[in-house]
Amino acid sequence: MNRYFLYLVLLNMIVNVIIFVPKILIDYRYEGAVMGVIIAIPIGVALNYVYCMAINKFPSQGMPEILATSKHRLFKIIHFYSIQLIWFAAGLITLVGFIDILARFVNPEMPKLALLVIYLAAIFLIIQMPTQRVMYFLEIVLFLNIPLIGFIIFQALTNKFLSWDSMLEVGTHIFASPSLKSIAAATYCFSGYANLIIFNRVIKGKLKIWNFITILFLGIFNLFTTFFIPIGFHGSDGAQQYLYPWISTADSLRLTYSPIERVIFLFLMFYMSITLISISVHWHVSFELIKATFKGKFSKKKNWIVIATYTVCSVAAVIYLNTVLLNKITVYWLVFHLGFEILVVAVFFIWARRQTV
Amino acid sequence: MPTNKVQTIKEGILNKIHKPEDLVFKENQTKEKYMEVLYIKSISDEAILHDNLLKPFFETSSSEEFLNFLQSNPKVSEFESEQKAIDELMRGVAILFYQDDVFLFDCKMDRNNAVMDTTVETTIQGPQAGFSESLPVNLGLIRSRYPNTTLAVESTEVGKLSKTKVMILHDTKFADPVTLNRVKKFLDTVDIEMFQTGEQLFDSIRKSNRALFPLMLVTERPDRVAVNLASGKVILLVQGSSYAVILPTVMKDLMSSMEDIYQAYWIAKFLQILRYTAFNVSMILPGLYVAVSSYNPELFRVQLAMSIAGSRTGIPYPSFVEVVLMLFMMELLTEASIRLPKAIGPTATTVGGLILGQAAAEAGLVSNIMIVIVSFVAISNFVVPINAFSFTIRVLKYFILLFSTLFGLVGVVIGFFMLLAYMVKLDSFGEPFLTLIQSKPSKE
Repeated sequence: MNRYFLYLVLLNMIVNVIIFVPKILIDYRYEGAVMGVIIAIPIGVALNYVYCMAINKFPSQGMPEILATSKHRLFKIIHFYSIQLIWFAAGLITLVGFIDILARFVNPEMPKLALLVIYLAAIFLIIQMPTQRVMYFLEIVLFLNIPLIGFIIFQALTNKFLSWDSMLEVGTHIFASPSLKSIAAATYCFSGYANLIIFNRVIKGKLKIWNFITILFLGIFNLFTTFFIPIGFHGSDGAQQYLYPWISTADSLRLTYSPIERVIFLFLMFYMSITLISISVHWHVSFELIKATFKGKFSKKKNWIVIATYTVCSVAAVIYLNTVLLNKITVYWLVFHLGFEILVVAVFFIWARRQTV
Repeated sequence: MPTNKVQTIKEGILNKIHKPEDLVFKENQTKEKYMEVLYIKSISDEAILHDNLLKPFFETSSSEEFLNFLQSNPKVSEFESEQKAIDELMRGVAILFYQDDVFLFDCKMDRNNAVMDTTVETTIQGPQAGFSESLPVNLGLIRSRYPNTTLAVESTEVGKLSKTKVMILHDTKFADPVTLNRVKKFLDTVDIEMFQTGEQLFDSIRKSNRALFPLMLVTERPDRVAVNLASGKVILLVQGSSYAVILPTVMKDLMSSMEDIYQAYWIAKFLQILRYTAFNVSMILPGLYVAVSSYNPELFRVQLAMSIAGSRTGIPYPSFVEVVLMLFMMELLTEASIRLPKAIGPTATTVGGLILGQAAAEAGLVSNIMIVIVSFVAISNFVVPINAFSFTIRVLKYFILLFSTLFGLVGVVIGFFMLLAYMVKLDSFGEPFLTLIQSKPSKE
């Protein structure tokens, strides 16, 4: 049971709260979100399985090394460039979304660019580390934070104000026809495996079937908490009025005997580090792919140019994207991501088949 | 009478050493034998010379017998080259010119060979002896705790001017040969003129020659050295220093003390948890105070938030100025108490306790909670057992304070994780700094 692979998937599952997945699912709760979630689970696990079976044939090699033997240079370049852009966009959406959350809940008087500065400083330190160290850092962050999230979910589930009736009420809309947006949003929870593009370099040994059963159960639990717990707290109608349903849910939890009474702060402190590592993982993949597209040695100057590009894009994104626009863009981006992912997995699977036949 | 060869060597040596005041060049003559002795009297033990060389010289009757005596004496070695003879002369070895041979007689004076008590790394129970300042004595202390044939001892020289002898010890069964090679290569590339003690290597380990974290451990306890040898580390003993260097060092070693094996298991676990908590508290608390009192007072429950904010009423400047002021005073106090003459010692306690604490609070310059926090931070700083690492923590808390002043709560969390990311990036001779398991030599 290779735990590094599970960390990657788990990271994506946890960070989906920031990327508007609960908001999208709750928006469509009467119009097919429940069926969408139910469909998304097999799709997600199947994508996981297909991709991992394909990459099992190339142990300890990232995609640049795997595709090094291919002769279609144009195809390789298009493939890499598109994946770089999508991964950069994934990190960027998480970053802008979280800075918006911080500006709204934690530091309302601080300009967003100031929050961006500290996040970029930390991220640029992390993405330039070797891949193995990024993985170690991910493990440490998850170890420090998983007990806290477990505790918060436990508090949420055992809270006397959690209304199971509302959850069942939304559950009765199970046979509404599924909407594409909710399928895309729910599938994003399973997308952590795609980081294997680069992180396969640090995974030793083959991925066994136990991993996928674990992912299945974790995914079901995660989607359930992401979708239904806000509904349980705010009611099946009331859940729609919040911009960030899960954060408002955390705000409604109280730890009466602790020095920190409002759980929202614990929740946000926990998410500060999770978001940091999630953005770093996505941008590390993108950074490594950029390094791989250059044939020669990656000099310090090119390093700085890439970092400068990342900075400019994030500054522009923070300035021009406000919450509503970000929300809309994320919805369409998630749908696009679903299609792109299916395409990438299919292409890789067919290519791997042909290589080793 | 001396032969020509011996004569030329003698002239050569005498020319090169410029006849210092403490150089002794004596001719000893009996009926059958003639010997000349050359040594520097401030570093040679004249008692050894007299008992082991001059007495037998005057008591043996034939020159053949004395030659046999010289050749079979363990302190006597053959002449190899002029340069080597001069180097040895400079360390306290006497040069003998006898018949047509030149011999080197080891009569080094070993002054600082008293075994001292541990001063810096004390434990409640367990051995209390520390190293001495003499290399052979230290080696003997280690060997008496580690009597295995697998203990390999090699010697090298570091320092262009000081030419300090350094001994490298490791256990061939447990130590990783890759790490050992790295250590040896590192010692060869060290560029220091005067090498007094192992602590000077802290900077040379990093390529940029500027280090913040200690990547090697310096200890004065032979029992710690013996335990570390058994777990596969490489030890360096330096002539003239009572501190041994343990390489490679990872964070787990920097937070461990010998108490962990001298106490019962759960007590040791409790002490370790205490240490890690103290490490975190000492780094984060000042930053957290600034973030909570100036950026997000609503973090804590109402009663606590009121008392934190309330204790700050009447303080005329922002919280970060107050924190920096108090921390600065605490740093001054800590530094000064290292160097206080014994007569003025109690004054420091009075100054620190009464004036900085009580009076400053009553004058309205710092809040009461700030005093509690600063004393917390100062005390928990010294819970970390390794001195070098506790200095590092003293510096690190200013980074987190800076981030927290500029960015608030986000600064504290992200600053802490940036430090963690930097520690993940570090490695000590190939071992990642935050590793939990020492690398073993690969099974052949």
